[in-house]
Amino acid sequence: MSWLTRFRNAVRPGALEQELDEEMRDHVERRIQQLEASGVAHEEAVRRVGIRFGNISKLREESRDARLTRFVDGTIQDLRYALRLMVKSPGFTATIVVSLGLAIGANTAVFSILDAALLRPLPVADPERLISLSAPGITDPGADPSPERLAFSYPQLKGFRAALGTGAARLALFNFPRAAEVRGVEADAPTEHAVSQFVSGDAFQMLGVTPALGRLFTADDDRTPGAHPLVVLSYDYWQSRFHGDPGVLGRRIIAGAVPNEIIGVAQKGFFGIEPGQMVQLWRPAMQYDKQAFEEAGWSWFEIIGRLAPGATTERVATALQPVWSDNNAAMLKRMPTLPQAIREQFLKSKVIVRLAPNGVSGFRRAYETPLWVIFCVALAILAIACSNVASLLLARAASRASEVAMRVSLGAGRLRLVRQLLTESVFYALVAGALGWILAKAIAPLLVEALSSKQQEVALLLPMNSTVLLFSTAVALLAAVLFGLPPAWQASRSQPIQVMRGVSGQAGKLKLGRFFVSVQVAFAFGLVILGAAFLFSLRNLVHVDPGFRPEGVTAYTILLGDPKLSESAGNQLTRQLRDRVGALPGVTGTAGTAFAIFTGSSMTDQIIIPGRPPSEQQELFYAVTDEYFRTMGTPLMAGRDFERGDAEKKDETPAIVNQAFAAKYFAGADPMGQRFRDPSDRPTFVIVGIAGNTHYDDLRGTTPPIVYFPLKGLSGWLYVRSAGAATPVPEIDREARAVRPGMRVGEVYPLESLIRGKILKERLLAVTGGTLGALGLVLAAIGLFGLLNYSVERRTKEIGIRAALGARFGQIVGLVLREAVGLVAFGLVLGFGAAVFTLGALEKLLFGIRPADPQVAVAGCLVFLIATLVAAGLPARRAAAVDPMTALRSE
Amino acid sequence: MPAPNSAQTALDLLVLTVLEKRGPLHGYGIANSIDELSEEALKVEEGSLYPALHRMEESGWISAEWTVTENKRRARIYEITRAGKKHLAAETERWTNFSKGVARVLKFA
Repeated sequence: MSWLTRFRNAVRPGALEQELDEEMRDHVERRIQQLEASGVAHEEAVRRVGIRFGNISKLREESRDARLTRFVDGTIQDLRYALRLMVKSPGFTATIVVSLGLAIGANTAVFSILDAALLRPLPVADPERLISLSAPGITDPGADPSPERLAFSYPQLKGFRAALGTGAARLALFNFPRAAEVRGVEADAPTEHAVSQFVSGDAFQMLGVTPALGRLFTADDDRTPGAHPLVVLSYDYWQSRFHGDPGVLGRRIIAGAVPNEIIGVAQKGFFGIEPGQMVQLWRPAMQYDKQAFEEAGWSWFEIIGRLAPGATTERVATALQPVWSDNNAAMLKRMPTLPQAIREQFLKSKVIVRLAPNGVSGFRRAYETPLWVIFCVALAILAIACSNVASLLLARAASRASEVAMRVSLGAGRLRLVRQLLTESVFYALVAGALGWILAKAIAPLLVEALSSKQQEVALLLPMNSTVLLFSTAVALLAAVLFGLPPAWQASRSQPIQVMRGVSGQAGKLKLGRFFVSVQVAFAFGLVILGAAFLFSLRNLVHVDPGFRPEGVTAYTILLGDPKLSESAGNQLTRQLRDRVGALPGVTGTAGTAFAIFTGSSMTDQIIIPGRPPSEQQELFYAVTDEYFRTMGTPLMAGRDFERGDAEKKDETPAIVNQAFAAKYFAGADPMGQRFRDPSDRPTFVIVGIAGNTHYDDLRGTTPPIVYFPLKGLSGWLYVRSAGAATPVPEIDREARAVRPGMRVGEVYPLESLIRGKILKERLLAVTGGTLGALGLVLAAIGLFGLLNYSVERRTKEIGIRAALGARFGQIVGLVLREAVGLVAFGLVLGFGAAVFTLGALEKLLFGIRPADPQVAVAGCLVFLIATLVAAGLPARRAAAVDPMTALRSE
Repeated sequence: MPAPNSAQTALDLLVLTVLEKRGPLHGYGIANSIDELSEEALKVEEGSLYPALHRMEESGWISAEWTVTENKRRARIYEITRAGKKHLAAETERWTNFSKGVARVLKFA
């Protein structure tokens, strides 16, 4: 009987019994028919056959026993034997379980994140029919291709809905989740933050999300912009903030600026449509800025929909395309100055409709590649651990060779032996798997935390659920087969006669051992190179000079309860606030701006110079107050800084441009005093100063051209440079309240942390790549050590003879080291090749180094050389210390 | 392992012999063949054939497969394996020796 059948019989005895019943029933029926054919009455025939056949249920028992006992008995025997062995050599067992456990833990941790962020479908009804809308990115001539655009405007959504009617799909609006201020309606209620999302009224119905309490939004909550002061809580938020109190219904909380009535709680486990973000509050989209419902250019949400039964994404795309094309044509009409290359992209643009069973996610877009890289690294660790354990088991098998030979000669089935060794391997693997699972539970949240920055918080549901459990079990079993088969195979070929004679297939065993060490070295060196490349990239990024001095500068957001403020009143408030904060002890400079650098916010426009066509590319425009350059530490190369009166100028706009801008647009001329416009009706810019180049939103690439111009109105952000520690928030807050009641500090970001937030991906790769590289190196070193040590032990006699014949210390050490080099060299070449190939595919994640970078290679080799010397040094010393007399006498 | 002279061994021998001589058969066919060959001298409960068949399958002496028979019934067809043939040869020899011994004792006691 095949193993598979036997296994099926053991786990599914029901099927077996059914087959047996069928067989016996068939027999009885035939016999009855036969008797009836010879003239016996039916009832008599049944009686006679019953006697002749015997007790069916007893027979069934016997038959099942025949099948199961052997299998179960054998397995229990094997397990007992395995357990005895494990307990007998705890050191050996610990080595195996810990190295495998680490590998399985790393794999499970990374997989649980992959699963949550990339693989798991949304916890809604029938996620397979969800779709997302996007459009090709518009790329500036000469720039890197832009990513797809996911944001749409309200008029576009209205057009799409009209085109679909009640046909191929329903579409709903989801804006990008943001941390919003939330507080109770009482006057002194403290302010908190909750991740909030605006959704259209039909969003919950479209997804098929049900309420856990109260009701969710309906199409009726989609009527009037500015109205519908309602809020729906997530189940988690309801539990953590309101302790699951069913009395929250009807209560009001202030979210955004208005009091909203709590009307319901969404079903447990629903976190929105963005893996990586856990939405806590949903508000009707109608609460969003009124203007957003009129302007076609204001793209502020994503569109998620559900296919009607039988509809396809192609059909939806075809239905939407005319609306999209009209929309683009209208937009081009509104923006006549756009360069031809960009106009063409808009004209050709096709709306993209995709199945989106696991939602849309900014986190996924940013981290998809790095996460797969880390997953592959974890798999490589597993491969190393497996070959390590395999060689350990092989070495032990060598010492058990005589036992195995004895059993074979006593008549043990070879299959039975293999099965017993495999049972042992599976047992090790499952214990290691349990350890790995526990490790993963601890590591995975730490990894997610490492991916989270203050500007972009990442929260993932990481339940160690059945998928993850299944994965780690599968990994453990795969490992068991990988490391368990070679020793089992070897044992099955055991030649009792030779073992008894003392010959034993040592050569074969070492050959396999050598193979495994090479595998380990290849993987480990590949990982070391990969880790080194990521570490060098991070180092290079950290050492990029941003063009200003971020240390000591803190950015505060300034909030004002009443946003309706005239421009000049705003200027006034900004000035007063800066004066007061600037007078605080320790503060050496202050500057206001509309939004902070390195937060992803930017304003770009074309440059229109008299007598030239509008620029092909859009350039950065950045509104700042006076003293911005001094506060940031950006050098002014020529001209003057802004002055307090600059914000009030109506006839022209004084501008300070950086050197990159001057070189690009006024090469060969003196940029000072030059004039240019942007496509808006803003007064002409006149260049009054030249600033040094700075990075604006990332540290990669060259410093972009920037136009600085005077900030008008209240500044949303305040930069403060402090001589010592950052000025405490309450002090700034006190000054803000003193300037005007209701004005206060919102968020606080040290500028350095804003910059660090931009290299999280690289930091993640460097930290995990480096750590896993080191782990791989240690595992490989242990493997190398084990093999050399065994080899020296086996060659004790030979070394003894050599020593007796006058071999010197160096010669004997050289003997061992040569073997080590031979073992390592092949793996090194292979590992290096694989690493360079991988890095070539990941070039975008590297910075300041090439895929085959000499400094990375040298660093990797040095690290590896040290590890090899340590791993080979001990056996070499042992070899050199062999006493000829003892060695020769021992056999 | 049952004693070489047990009824179980006898049944095994009968089944293996039938399968070797007559080729693949289903359970009912095997029962009929045993009846026929032994001229109904061996009266075993027909049902005990099935645990025996399954035990022998487990031991690897016979193999079984579900097929559809001439009259469109699903039947499990048994076939003797190489291991089964070896076992049969060895057991037959043992059985012959044993019964010769018994016969001698009966004759000369």
